[in-house]
Amino acid sequence: MTALLTVENLSVRFPIKRGWGKTSWLYAVDDVSFEVQRGETLAIVGESGSGKTTAALGVARLVGNSGGKVDLAGEDFLALEPEALRRARAKVQVIFQDPYSSLNPRLRAEAIVREPMDSIGTLPVDQRAARVAELFEQVGLRPEQMKLFPHQFSGGQRQRIGIARALATNPELIICDEAVSALDVAVQAQILNLLRRLQRDLGLTYLFISHDLGVVQHMSDHIAVMYMGKIVEYADRLSLFNSPRHPYTKALLSAVPSVDQKRKVERLLIPGDPPDPLNPPRGCRFASRCHFVEDACRSEQPPLTEVAAHHKVACIKA
Amino acid sequence: MTEPLLKIENLRIELALRSGQAPVIDDLSLELRPGETLSFVGESGCGKSMTALAIMGLLPEKVGSIAGGRILFDGRDMAQMNDAQLRSIRGNEISMIFQEPMTSLNPVYTVGEQIAEVLRRHKGMSKQAAWARAIELLDAVRIPNAKSRVSDYPHQMSGGQRQRVMIAIALACAPKILIADEPTTALDVTVQAQIFDLLRDLGRETGTAIILITHDMGAVSEMADRMVVMYAGRKAEDGPVAPVISHPRHPYTKGLISCVPHLLAKLTEQRPDLTEVPGIVPALASFGADACLFASRCDMADDKCRSSRPPEVAFGEQHSACWKADQL
Amino acid sequence: MKMIEDIPPKARSPFSEAFEMFRRNHAAVIGLVILLSIIAIAVIGPMVYPGDPFDMVWIPFTPPGEQGYLMGTDYLGRDLLSLLIHGAKVSLTIGISAAVVTVTIGITVGALAGFYRGWVEEVLMRLTEFFQVLPTLLFSMVIVSLFGASLMMITLAIGLVSWPAVARITRAEFMRIRELEYVTAARAGGVKNGRLIFSVILPNALPPIIVQAALMVGSAILFEAGLSFLGLTDPNVASWGQIIGSNREYILDASYTVTVPGVAIFITVLAISLVGDGLNDALNPKLRQR
Repeated sequence: MTALLTVENLSVRFPIKRGWGKTSWLYAVDDVSFEVQRGETLAIVGESGSGKTTAALGVARLVGNSGGKVDLAGEDFLALEPEALRRARAKVQVIFQDPYSSLNPRLRAEAIVREPMDSIGTLPVDQRAARVAELFEQVGLRPEQMKLFPHQFSGGQRQRIGIARALATNPELIICDEAVSALDVAVQAQILNLLRRLQRDLGLTYLFISHDLGVVQHMSDHIAVMYMGKIVEYADRLSLFNSPRHPYTKALLSAVPSVDQKRKVERLLIPGDPPDPLNPPRGCRFASRCHFVEDACRSEQPPLTEVAAHHKVACIKA
Repeated sequence: MTEPLLKIENLRIELALRSGQAPVIDDLSLELRPGETLSFVGESGCGKSMTALAIMGLLPEKVGSIAGGRILFDGRDMAQMNDAQLRSIRGNEISMIFQEPMTSLNPVYTVGEQIAEVLRRHKGMSKQAAWARAIELLDAVRIPNAKSRVSDYPHQMSGGQRQRVMIAIALACAPKILIADEPTTALDVTVQAQIFDLLRDLGRETGTAIILITHDMGAVSEMADRMVVMYAGRKAEDGPVAPVISHPRHPYTKGLISCVPHLLAKLTEQRPDLTEVPGIVPALASFGADACLFASRCDMADDKCRSSRPPEVAFGEQHSACWKADQL
Repeated sequence: MKMIEDIPPKARSPFSEAFEMFRRNHAAVIGLVILLSIIAIAVIGPMVYPGDPFDMVWIPFTPPGEQGYLMGTDYLGRDLLSLLIHGAKVSLTIGISAAVVTVTIGITVGALAGFYRGWVEEVLMRLTEFFQVLPTLLFSMVIVSLFGASLMMITLAIGLVSWPAVARITRAEFMRIRELEYVTAARAGGVKNGRLIFSVILPNALPPIIVQAALMVGSAILFEAGLSFLGLTDPNVASWGQIIGSNREYILDASYTVTVPGVAIFITVLAISLVGDGLNDALNPKLRQR
């Protein structure tokens, strides 16, 4: 089976100015590889500064400078010239985090949903209005709401508009960048159910970025855990949540409070703060905060190695 | 049973709208006992923060005002107090930490100065004594190397450390009540765990009662002794945490618990759709109505729910304001 | 499908909300009324009060009210009222055209600098700083003395010394807005750079620029008055500043010759400021919530 998305050795870097003409590079994502199969959901989880959002938006070349190789449905994404890239954007669309800043306040809802079709020209002009109407229905909005402006919608409804926009070009891959984390819990459930229903009905493929492990558990088939620009663990859903191997993953899972009284995990506190991303340590990036650290961890970066079927860990002690 | 530390009786807070007055808090009664952790739960716009502001005497002037009821703290009614009386309680006997540790600290003073300032104002400490106490407090909130970090400016600290500083400031005067308004929403989950542990330990050591405002049922079940579920300015349900979570007697509580995908002890292949609570919190203008305000989002609602406000029904220590509480 | 709560399906554009907000601001409405009256005078005035304002009509220094000359006559015996009415047109034209020049240069430079960043930004911002540190009055005096004191040159000179402020505001707005998710969304939707700049970001960056432009009209009128006072003006055109400038030597003997156009400038600039202030409130979404 060939994957829909194959990412090899992806690095995303940002220039940091340091005085006169001197530029150093911040590697928000450093040499990361993963695959997404058609119709499934790969979640990337991590805390702020882990590079999870940058990795996903870097795949679509929406942030920073991407290096490495990104193959999306047979297209070498990182090699595309600007105009070809602009057209290829039809294949990968994004659902954003903030339902308030992700919609242009000057456009009516229908224009927002229609914009990608107009810009890329994925449909003949005379069919676009009908497509907008169809999308509105798919995401649970009423036809008369097409003429409204974003500020006349609630947060959940705005997110539905964002989802309709992301579906407009029939993309191969949809990146959900913290798509529900700004919503109230009840609305969050509505949107999560909608995303799952759309995936079932339309065979969508999601790259799902989230810091909320409960949501990730509910949405994903595979999970990549990131820490400081690196994937530290990569596994299918049951393996990751039932038998995490990396000390960071374990700590992360143990930190999540739960209503399940039976789930009494001993909390693994991580001391201190992450190291300076401009000057990352030579060895394992988690070494400075790890309870199981030994000398070898500090001298060499552990590779992501397969420890079981569908389960890779970047830790020499795993 | 011990005498409650804080007792709110039939509190009504009105908000001035263009269309008239709307009760953002409508006939709310609750008790906080010494040393316990009480959690306010609900979606945004349900009145959790408004209640906290009322307890602090910090209602936005001209917009919101207490229209009825009493807030009894140590036997005194805070709703009747003037500004000076409130100021002597605020930050001293009742203090508060906020959601956003990035903006709650003043960027032009060192954290030590900000802690010492509180001590000098409320406790009349000397400059040296206040500074020494500031170091002790930073140590107590587990900031490593407190002696040197005390001269740091807020921007030199991480988000979690700033929230610790906020906690240090809040605890500086050994308050009887600490109100924490979504204290970890802006923080990473591992940092949240550290802050929760800290709050719990400090609460235990100092006997400070904590009011934790949150929307996260997981946090409630780990942190709180009792909880109050608020909906549209009214109390939907309250009671000890364990029975309320395992057997909610209000459909809103039930919805709040089951609409979130939780981490479970053992994950299985099964992933049923989440329970939806359709719609959103009603607009402020409809808050005063003589009806169950949750009826429009409730799949059990009938004509009675839509035409008269349900009274509170007791199930042991648990209370629910639902006409059908006994059917749940 | 579960249905969502109801919203009155009436599409109110951000523009109509801003208008509503503006209408509720009494000072701004008064300012607007005054400004519209002055514009009306400038347009209709010359028709209902005909005659060449430069004609000598009566004895010089006839005080206001005498001999049927409502505002009196100046040192050359010209009708001050006629000068004032014709001057309104000239002063407003200069003010508005200078503001247009300012905004055009400012938006172009600011938008490009804020959107492209990198070396484009470096070059454009150094250029902006260069113009910003030039002593404005001196620089415009040099331009006018070099290229002649025609209305066009004066307008250009004012525009040339004033654009850096607009460029800075525009750049700041662009830098803020280009990081917002709807701009990233537009890029993800394949929107071309030209459209991104002019159709996506610029409309959202406009509010503070509009306010600045409105205030610019007022300051351009003042600037022109300043230049005229120093004699750097087209002597064949009667702007308000020019009236003051040509009568300045008689300020003690016949103060009304200077006061009357001075008050006209004052009222106009005040009206513009009130309108600008009202626009600022109306276009600021944070204030609109109240």
